[in-house]
Amino acid sequence: MTLIMAFGLALTGVSAQAADFDLMAKKARGQTVYFNAWGGSPQINSYIVWAGSQIKARYGVTLVHVKLTETADAVARILAEKSAGKTRDGSVDLIWVNGENFASLKRQGLLRSDSWAFALPSFSYTDADALPGIISDFANPTDGLESPWGRAQLVFGYDTQFVSNPPRSAEELANWIEKNPGRFTFPQPPDFTGTSFLKQILLEVSPDKAIFAAPAREADTKAALAPLFAWLDRVRPHLWRGGVNYPPNYTAMVQLLGDGELAIAMAFNPAEFSNGISQGILPDSVRTYIHDSGTLANVHFVAIPFNAAAADGAQVVANFLLSPEAQIRKANPDIWGDPTVLSIPKLDAEDAAAFAALPRGRATLGPADLNRTLPEPHPSWVGVIERAWMARYSGNE
Amino acid sequence: MVRIAILLLCLMPVAAGLLCAILPALGWFPPLGGNHFSFQPFVDFFAQPGLRRSICLSLSVGLLATFLSYWLAMFLLAILYGQGRAGFLFRLISPLLSVPHITIAVGFLFLLQPSGWLSRLFSPWLTGWQRPPNLNIVPDENAYVLILALIAKELPFLLLMGLSALSQIKVRPLLDTAASLGYGSLSGWMHLVQPQLAARLRLAVLIVMVFSISVVDMAILLAPSTPAPLAVRILTWFRDPDLSYQFVAAAAAVMQLFCALLACVIWVGIDKCILFVMARLSAAGQRFSFLPSSFVAALKKGGVVLAVWPCVMACFGMLAALIWAFADIWRYPSALPDKWGLSAWKYAYISLGQATFNSLILGLITAAICVSLALLWLQTETRESDKHAERLIYIPLLLPQIAFLFGMQILLIWLGFDGLFLALIWAHSLFVFPYVMLSLAPTWRRFDARYLAIAATLGAGPLRRFLSIKLAMMTLPVLTAFAVGFAVSSALYLPTIFASNGRVMTLTTEAVTLAAGAGRQNLGIASLMQMALPLLVFLICDRLARARLARFSFFKL
Repeated sequence: MTLIMAFGLALTGVSAQAADFDLMAKKARGQTVYFNAWGGSPQINSYIVWAGSQIKARYGVTLVHVKLTETADAVARILAEKSAGKTRDGSVDLIWVNGENFASLKRQGLLRSDSWAFALPSFSYTDADALPGIISDFANPTDGLESPWGRAQLVFGYDTQFVSNPPRSAEELANWIEKNPGRFTFPQPPDFTGTSFLKQILLEVSPDKAIFAAPAREADTKAALAPLFAWLDRVRPHLWRGGVNYPPNYTAMVQLLGDGELAIAMAFNPAEFSNGISQGILPDSVRTYIHDSGTLANVHFVAIPFNAAAADGAQVVANFLLSPEAQIRKANPDIWGDPTVLSIPKLDAEDAAAFAALPRGRATLGPADLNRTLPEPHPSWVGVIERAWMARYSGNE
Repeated sequence: MVRIAILLLCLMPVAAGLLCAILPALGWFPPLGGNHFSFQPFVDFFAQPGLRRSICLSLSVGLLATFLSYWLAMFLLAILYGQGRAGFLFRLISPLLSVPHITIAVGFLFLLQPSGWLSRLFSPWLTGWQRPPNLNIVPDENAYVLILALIAKELPFLLLMGLSALSQIKVRPLLDTAASLGYGSLSGWMHLVQPQLAARLRLAVLIVMVFSISVVDMAILLAPSTPAPLAVRILTWFRDPDLSYQFVAAAAAVMQLFCALLACVIWVGIDKCILFVMARLSAAGQRFSFLPSSFVAALKKGGVVLAVWPCVMACFGMLAALIWAFADIWRYPSALPDKWGLSAWKYAYISLGQATFNSLILGLITAAICVSLALLWLQTETRESDKHAERLIYIPLLLPQIAFLFGMQILLIWLGFDGLFLALIWAHSLFVFPYVMLSLAPTWRRFDARYLAIAATLGAGPLRRFLSIKLAMMTLPVLTAFAVGFAVSSALYLPTIFASNGRVMTLTTEAVTLAAGAGRQNLGIASLMQMALPLLVFLICDRLARARLARFSFFKL
């Protein structure tokens, strides 16, 4: 009896949710959603254009991609609006975030706070038990303030012309860098990928990883980061350009791999290197690998600012981005190759089959090779690592 | 009255912007919990790593770029103008004048980086490089490439200003007098023309100085990043997800203001010293006749080559960008693409199409408004003392952009104007209007009023005199000013991102985003459009003006 009641409740819950969404979609018609998202990758930009055309056709909502060089730009803008007392009709409707930027927005109360993300119809295709990252962003509970969009894992790409046996740990990598001076680097922190690489090394070389799951405390940071800096001090003179200059982001670094300036590069998208080959940026000889201990993996999201002018439209967009159709297209390596956040068992057979049928690029690792992951440290470590790195290496007096 | 309104429009946002930078720098910024005044932001600012180096870098880039552009420009003018070859000079500089700064920077990147075109042209047959060398160039540690790129852009500007100033000086008779007293052409120029020229160019040089010291878009590409010059770091602090860095950014903006002022003081000081020495030499009648004539000839040739060199490199760089726009695959060390093609244009069509359209519309509207305002200003200008008011309109060019744009953004939000196209046009006009005035005012004021008097005696009313006589005869300078305004607008980076809330992508903002990494092909296409648009506007204006003036070919204008 209780079981039936619970079932019935769940059903009405779902249909009520769907009805709510339909109502919202109706209100959203005619709105223009300014989607603030990093705009440095042509594939991602093209994907957003496609999503915009679909959303326009189905919901009558216009999607405008505001291309950011740094996500923090939009964070600063939302803050500027709050400072000027602009609590409605803000300029950002939807923002692509995760990790530290999300933590900052959440802490400052700059996000729409009605758990809208959990109420989206597409959210029912996700499974937080199987993928805790969709409700916990760098161990920071999302509280429904942001809707999952995609998954990322740090992978390394190497050119087999120059490297036959890639180094599969921080220690091996350091040895390799010493033997091959000038052929390895990482994007300059605070770039997202660059900082992630530092976190990866930190987790690998630290004897006690447990402290990174908790918020960083000023007193411990020096000792906690010491192994990382010992590693960096060792390799820095042998980095690309002597560790005096760094590429600004991962796309620039992938280009350097294509030119042969670097022999090993990294990216947060497992399909990035296959993508590069099909676009002619990388030679056919590039392949990927991850470290034996596993690599950092996380989820990226879209969030709605507290003062968004088109909040209804933004939720319609977030719901579409999370729909099986949009996720299948996003996971296609010929389009973007960003892994899905949906749970395949929760999809209907047709969509599940479409995911299974997706091609895998020639340089992309299979799921079996990507199953070793490291959990992200608490987001407070990001700032600590970035500032310590900058204090140590970016002030070439 | 009209002029006061224009001044208010130009100066109010600047003043509000400065205030909104200075208050947080002193700890007062209530939205972030700063409720009382303190020096803590400055304490935090001075605790930033690598700060001394950032400031030195900014100062050295600003001073060196200005010093070199100025003296190379003076040298070229002395040699070529003296020989009556100003036309050649003008043809040399006009393409570079119209191209945005970021395009020049992209060109230098494509040409000089270790995997750049220069290295490809000479590899592996000469250098033996199969892979790009591991050299720390572009960006280099002392930002020499940035200085070079700035010279390539500022030298033409100073030449243009110089040519305009020289047209107000009776150069030929001065040089003839000097020659009759036994002075060579160079020493005659130095004693008689240079001091007058220097006085007239002081404003232009200070604009160049402030721009060079606080340049952001070019520096993102060409300056070192560990640490970066001060202006770039201010932008990073403004963007820091940790919002308490807003205070540091504000303190840094005030510091940037101080650096710009310091550089200007240093410049004026040096300039005064040089003028003093020259006055002494003039008083002593120094003819430099002890220098062998072969040396002087070599000096002239060498000087011209040296001065033209950065500009030639910029042109080659832009050529490399053009090639990239049509390269499907271009691997190192091939001198030319391995596979030509248009595959990047498919993406460009979607993304750059909108940016091109935005740049075009924004540039045309802003230039039209600013030219109209300039005409209003000049037409209502009556007394000689009014010229002092004109100095005020150059203030936006004499302050580092980054120092007041964040505060201006707060003003726009407060007015409810942020993100509106109108706000963007307003922000652009702050920078476009002064350049339009610089371009138009000297010619406009030299207009021979006797034409108007004749028209009046023939019964033409004021409006008719203005439209059919003055404006008609001034078509060329007015349209040139329009084209200058368009070029300035299309090059603006920081004003665009701040005033549009980043919502309006122009070719320049798109190029900076693309230059940070993605796809050289797309960057090549963006550069191509950036070269094409202003050039097109210049050509159309030139055509129009000439067609209009064909009827007046008997008059000497």
